[in-house]
Amino acid sequence: MAEQPQPRQETMSPGERMGAILMRQRPDRVPFMPFIFGYCARNVGYPIARVYDDPEKSFWAQMWTAEMFGYDGGAMYAYASMGGWEFGGEIKMPVSEWEQAPIVAKFPAETPEAVDALEIPDVETAGCYPIALEFNKIQQQFGMPIMVMAFGCFTPAGNIAEVDKLCRWMMKQPDVAHKLLRKCTDFSKKVVDYYVEHFPNYPMMAFTGEASAANQIISPKQFEEFVLPYQKEIHDHILASGIRNIFCHICGEQNLNLKYWAQMEYGDPGILSFGHEVDLSTAIEYFGDKHAIAGNVEPQIIQNGTNQQVYELCKAAIDKAKMAPSGYLLMAGCEVPVQAPPYNIYVMKKAVMEHGFYD
Amino acid sequence: MATDARKKEILKGLYDAVVDFDEDKVVELSNAVLAEDVDAYEAIMDGLAAGMEHVGDLYANQEYFVPEVLMCSDALYAGLDILRPHLSGKEADVKGQVVIGTVEGDVHDIGKNLVKMMFDVAGFEVHDLGRDVKLEKFVEEQMKTDSEIVALSALMTTSMLAMPKVIEMIKARNPDAMIMVGGAPISQEVADNYGADGYAPNAANAVQEAIQMISRLREMGKA
Repeated sequence: MAEQPQPRQETMSPGERMGAILMRQRPDRVPFMPFIFGYCARNVGYPIARVYDDPEKSFWAQMWTAEMFGYDGGAMYAYASMGGWEFGGEIKMPVSEWEQAPIVAKFPAETPEAVDALEIPDVETAGCYPIALEFNKIQQQFGMPIMVMAFGCFTPAGNIAEVDKLCRWMMKQPDVAHKLLRKCTDFSKKVVDYYVEHFPNYPMMAFTGEASAANQIISPKQFEEFVLPYQKEIHDHILASGIRNIFCHICGEQNLNLKYWAQMEYGDPGILSFGHEVDLSTAIEYFGDKHAIAGNVEPQIIQNGTNQQVYELCKAAIDKAKMAPSGYLLMAGCEVPVQAPPYNIYVMKKAVMEHGFYD
Repeated sequence: MATDARKKEILKGLYDAVVDFDEDKVVELSNAVLAEDVDAYEAIMDGLAAGMEHVGDLYANQEYFVPEVLMCSDALYAGLDILRPHLSGKEADVKGQVVIGTVEGDVHDIGKNLVKMMFDVAGFEVHDLGRDVKLEKFVEEQMKTDSEIVALSALMTTSMLAMPKVIEMIKARNPDAMIMVGGAPISQEVADNYGADGYAPNAANAVQEAIQMISRLREMGKA
């Protein structure tokens, strides 16, 4: 019978552990950042919407849940449907038992004329940013680093026009698609400038991500034309503004896009997280020399799988990526589903404690 | 009346125009079908539908992606709009009826729309409920239309959990309804666990799966 691995003694705090990753040093063990939002609200007895519409409740729900499961990384404010609300549309907060995050209820620019008319919003009043800013002030009050939600380009554009319209414009009216992507990019830069101006000399990391540019939707050639130049511009702007690190979530099936993601900058180092569709060995091959790798435990298994399946997935991920040259963080491949069994999150930590230590 | 050679030319033209997402050409050739007395059903099945079938292969092989497929779909519908009113009674008979929608809590409908298109082109009568569809609505629509198939789509891991619930609700009212599921987080194993009768990893497979399900129903004498 195989010997049961024993949990080891941690010698670093979560902050020291993350600090080690950002200093390119080996932490005591693989950091565990689950990538978890709505779950935290549910975990502490709040409606899921509170993690998106109530800065204080959101902050504490995330902090208490981190304390409960003992994972690294504290709290951040983000969701995938950004764009629609910020540019004048409407968002619907999650209310039913089948929802886990805000969704766009009204797209603000469904015609080329409406794209023309879109104005770059003010950060202080744009959609969720007033909530995010309050959230960031609470982080600041507790001396925690701020994660700047840097908006993005392609996914927000799809949330402004609807993805299928954006796709059709790419084919028939590429100038309209480019115009929309330009406005999203300009707003992203404006967000970064706002944070740098209003939180001077405060420790910050920028969060970027891209879901709709996955190869389940667009081709690598389309990524090269409609995503690469804009996303690169945003990343360059973030780093030029003095923010040293970018946490970039490369969501979904992006294998054919990796060569383009590799042409972007992420800071020194960046943290790049991947979905289960991208093998961690592939991710390390492309990015591991310069950046920390995070991921890629399949959310569907975290939600529907047995605790043994989740444990084995985590162990396999740790075994594969633990020795990545610039570090590795155990993370879900995308947001932890709100209805995941708590024990499945516990076993993610258990896998880290039993297999994630560095000797 | 078109010669055989001309008919072949038109059908091949429709096929190519769908694959090349040339909507104008599809319209031109569909009008030629009517003007030159080519059979509209043949034009749909051997021209438009055959072209779309090839588009499905191109998508599966990652030669086409969603933007191209949407363009092909637009071209296809441009032809269907012209030709369908000219189908004779027997040809216009539907292969079956399907209720389709993205389940409550989920607004992602690109995949659902592609599946809907494949059902359309295959001759099904499609009752599209859209996205973020309340579970009761699937039950009501199935009962109202007496559709053989209900097709449920979900992209999100949370909304996929609505599927076993709606399957249970539909089966409680009509045990003979066949239910198929699809979407990014769904697998055959998940479909089996949810009690679905069918699962399709992509749009083209969805239609094949649906036809097989209807065949099973007919064998049982229920359709």
